[in-house]
Amino acid sequence: MTIFGAIGVASTGLTVHRKWLDAVSDNLANVSTVRATSEDAFRQKYVVAQEMADGGGVQVAGIVEGSAEGRLVYEPDNPLADEQGYVRYPDIDMSSQMTQLIMAQRGYQANAAVVDRAKETYAAALQIGR
Amino acid sequence: MSFPITAVSPVSAATPTSFVGPTAATDPTSGAGFASVLGSVEALQGLQSTSSSLAVQAVTGDLDDVHDYTIAAAEASTALEVTAAVRNKAVEAFSEIMRMQA
Repeated sequence: MTIFGAIGVASTGLTVHRKWLDAVSDNLANVSTVRATSEDAFRQKYVVAQEMADGGGVQVAGIVEGSAEGRLVYEPDNPLADEQGYVRYPDIDMSSQMTQLIMAQRGYQANAAVVDRAKETYAAALQIGR
Repeated sequence: MSFPITAVSPVSAATPTSFVGPTAATDPTSGAGFASVLGSVEALQGLQSTSSSLAVQAVTGDLDDVHDYTIAAAEASTALEVTAAVRNKAVEAFSEIMRMQA
């Protein structure tokens, strides 16, 4: 652990939450991505976080993709619809995504607060003996 | 119901921690004092160049994480403050010695 250990750890947390925000935003952007029933649906992205060795913080172990099954919706007017009039929508739960959006945002803010506090602490150390 | 009064155990001497052991102190006769200071100045320069290269990435749009730049800038400025504080203390000590009259 170096002199700015706390800041470095908080920085890894910021990166993970930023990637989580990216994943949620991708899921929300594709919430109405329609595919033909012969194709796979848009696959929801899950960020898998993993702790780093020796208290070094957190990192993204990988992005896991959800089901390609999606859900079939009857939309006979859609040019992508099959003979029975069905298209494939991604099976993304909007409320779950919004919850994750808040969690990612709050997590990011918490790590940013850690950076601020650590910086204040180091500044206080410089005042010793003044 | 009564409790017997026992003698207070004597306070044992605090064991010295290994943080400031004699081995950790710089040998005053080795003459490596300024060399080590120069090394830390180089580390500071490294932090500042990281910060400025991230600033370039920010304006060219190559920056992945905004916080990478702000944290690097905060680290560089704090390290500069530390270096300045150490330098001021050293100059203070030097002036104090120079004020000594025989």
